Amino acid sequence: MRKDLVFGMAGSGGDGIVSAGDSLLQAASAEGYHGVMTKSFGSQIRGGESSCRVRISTEPIPNPGGNLDVAVALNWEDFLKFGAELPVSGTTVVIYEAATGVAENQIPLVGVTPLQVIAVPIAGIAKETAGTERAKNTVVLGLIAGWFGIGGQAVMAGIKKKLAKKGEELVAANQRAFDAGVAFAKEHPLKTDMTVIPSGNKGALKLLTDGNDMAAAAAIFAGCQFFGGYPITPSTEIMQFFTNHVWKYGGAVLQAEDEIAGIGAAVGASFAGKKAMTATSGPGLSLKSEMMGLASIAELPLVIVDVQRGGPSTGLPTKTEQSDLFAAAFSAHGDVIRPVLAPTSVADTFRVVVEAFNIAEHYQTPVIVLSDQEISQRKETMDPIDTTQFKIEERLRPTAADLQEYKRFRITENGISPISHPGMPGGAYLAAGIEHSETGAPTNSGSVHQRMNDKRTKKFDPLLNREDLFEITGNPDAPLALVAWGSVAGVCREALQMAQAEGLNVKLMVPYLLYPVAEATYNRFFASVQKGLVVEQSHLAQTFKVLRMHLDLPKGLKSLARSGANPFLPGEIVEALHHLLAELQRSHEGKLQPQE
Amino acid sequence: MSATCEFQAKDYKSDLKPIWCPGCGDYSVVQGIYRALAAIGRPPHEIAFISGIGCSSRIPGYTTAYGFNTVHGRALPIAQGIKLANPDLLVLAAGGDGDGFSIGGGHIAHLIRRNIDITYIVMDNQIYGLTKGQLSPTSQKGRITVTSQHGSLEEPVNPLLYTLAYGAGFVAQASPTDLASMASIIEEAIRYPGFAFVNIQSPCVTYGEEAQQIKGLKAISENLSTLGHNPADRLAAMDLAQQYGRKLHLGVFYRNPEPAPTYDGLIRERQAALSKGALPKERILDLFIKK
Repeated sequence: MRKDLVFGMAGSGGDGIVSAGDSLLQAASAEGYHGVMTKSFGSQIRGGESSCRVRISTEPIPNPGGNLDVAVALNWEDFLKFGAELPVSGTTVVIYEAATGVAENQIPLVGVTPLQVIAVPIAGIAKETAGTERAKNTVVLGLIAGWFGIGGQAVMAGIKKKLAKKGEELVAANQRAFDAGVAFAKEHPLKTDMTVIPSGNKGALKLLTDGNDMAAAAAIFAGCQFFGGYPITPSTEIMQFFTNHVWKYGGAVLQAEDEIAGIGAAVGASFAGKKAMTATSGPGLSLKSEMMGLASIAELPLVIVDVQRGGPSTGLPTKTEQSDLFAAAFSAHGDVIRPVLAPTSVADTFRVVVEAFNIAEHYQTPVIVLSDQEISQRKETMDPIDTTQFKIEERLRPTAADLQEYKRFRITENGISPISHPGMPGGAYLAAGIEHSETGAPTNSGSVHQRMNDKRTKKFDPLLNREDLFEITGNPDAPLALVAWGSVAGVCREALQMAQAEGLNVKLMVPYLLYPVAEATYNRFFASVQKGLVVEQSHLAQTFKVLRMHLDLPKGLKSLARSGANPFLPGEIVEALHHLLAELQRSHEGKLQPQE
Repeated sequence: MSATCEFQAKDYKSDLKPIWCPGCGDYSVVQGIYRALAAIGRPPHEIAFISGIGCSSRIPGYTTAYGFNTVHGRALPIAQGIKLANPDLLVLAAGGDGDGFSIGGGHIAHLIRRNIDITYIVMDNQIYGLTKGQLSPTSQKGRITVTSQHGSLEEPVNPLLYTLAYGAGFVAQASPTDLASMASIIEEAIRYPGFAFVNIQSPCVTYGEEAQQIKGLKAISENLSTLGHNPADRLAAMDLAQQYGRKLHLGVFYRNPEPAPTYDGLIRERQAALSKGALPKERILDLFIKK
């Protein structure tokens, strides 16, 4: 019996492999398991290759998993296109379509001998039982239920619900296809038992959603009343959620004519006194950078969600990467600090987006939330979130006394000035992208510019002491360390557990606040560190470079960085830690040798 | 909405001293705006006045209201966000011909088709003044400027025909040659329930050509009302608009006699309809419960 199983399935666009993954995840969730599902596609809208990964566990799940336990290939050509996204190893059971004509001992996976390889006439079973090959995905679900004990009744219950409107015959046909899959599995038992332990948690209340919907829901919870945006993969679902729901809360959403107008409208809404948001991905972030500068100098609260994908330019629009950190932290011209936050999972996307609004409103600044394709489009089961524990901040409004001789940009001790908005009597002022005096009057004065730059940067000082925006786990005095953020953080959390189980003395830092760099917090963390890795999906190692720019990093801290769409596996990180430990031991031995 | 109270033009004049060149047409435009606002009588704090970048985009600073001098070409995107966030506000947008029809030229069509209740005033001087005399999108073909030293090879944009063609419900033209009528045209534009466009021929005294100064404008100006133009006749308006650049027609080219619903009005209706029985926002995550 297993606690945890990772499925990876691939086929061509019409095979319904992602919809099978969805059904599996929902069924597992209904049976009380934890589940995570990620999807990966080619860029084609119809046809082309599509895949999903579903990880199911009796324990909370830190990431979508490393090597597959179960690989399902409806055809090999499409499966192989996903390369490192669907890694097969010696512990993988490979199930594939017999109609591909490939012999079980000749599957096209070079240098790997899977645990077991089984050719199944999936299309044949579908045709025979349901009368159409379109039921292939239902056959796959039957095979999974039969071999791994996941799904079962809950899968068919879900399918029945989904197909109810399409008539009884279709439901019955799918039931036959499903049963035939189960029967095939029973007739061909696996060499090794791979059934999952029953969850014992059946019927527990769970949330199930993806990072984009969670970001939008969190924004509405935080009081966001305006969203301006433009469709761009993989962030569009955020706007879609708003178009469905924001009206109910007195808000509005605008699908603007372009990325610039989308953020522009959000800047306008914020000027008008409403909490506002936009969302985009790489190329859109580039287009929005001038408006981000405007929001910074006009000191207007604004949340920008950037769902990272492979770049530059169109890059890999459907794949995950962490290469927008430079752009998020530094893209608008001028001397400006713009806070950057990053979630690590669907569940903590809620907290991070609420925090982004709080920081935006408190400091009167644009804040970027760096999500990534994996988090944004992965579906995750999670325990219900107690929203009453979240404090919601509102921007500092002028008091009657402030309005006596109102100065919108009054230089205060903490750099935060009360902000009025149109409609507020006595608060009229000129907001501007041009440098301005305390009243808002345009100026070219170097001394005013100096004072205002001071105000606009020093106001962020308290943010640097927010230790709650960093997660530190493992032994605080460990000589070995990992640093990771975003979707890679979940891989490192699992690597940490594995490494500790193997006796390594290691710790992990996961920053939710990426910029400004909280130098003191990092310095405390690095104090004990002799060797370590900054793990990231960025070819240029942007995180490592931003840290190096601000900190004197321990000499033994190295970068483990690679391009997007090449996921890290927890096992390889543990292996890298073993190497670092060996290096450390060698250098200690060297020191112990008598000096000549 | 405010209680009606008496306002005078001077109540909308701010403490900032304009930095426009002496004789700039924009001095008249801002006077026209003060007068129009006084006639309408909304208190300054209920007005949001948004501009882009350019000489004329300084104008919100010279007006007592909530002003926002934004970035080049983006007055309209920002103004629409303001109006949608708070439809009660009187929202004005203004800027130059380069701001509105070149760098920001992609926005106007969309504000028109959405019919957001904003009044957009373009101070059209056929030149880039703030950057010292380059070719603008409304410069005449053949015009010699510092960036067209052998003469422009481009046809100008026709702001009137452009906005009419996109279906704007209110299109008018004014000029400092007749301040009283400019003020009343701006007032009428603001009162129009929907997107309203006013093109104002506002001479650049420093880089403008002789023919575009007040005297030259007067020579080619004609009042649409004296021509007997019916502002309900969109095709006649488009016909007259074709003479842009040769004739200066002053007055209302087109006013939709049956104004279409505004986007800002429609979103209010939608908010009212959908807010009934909605989950409280504290429980929005209930949407994700899977049983």
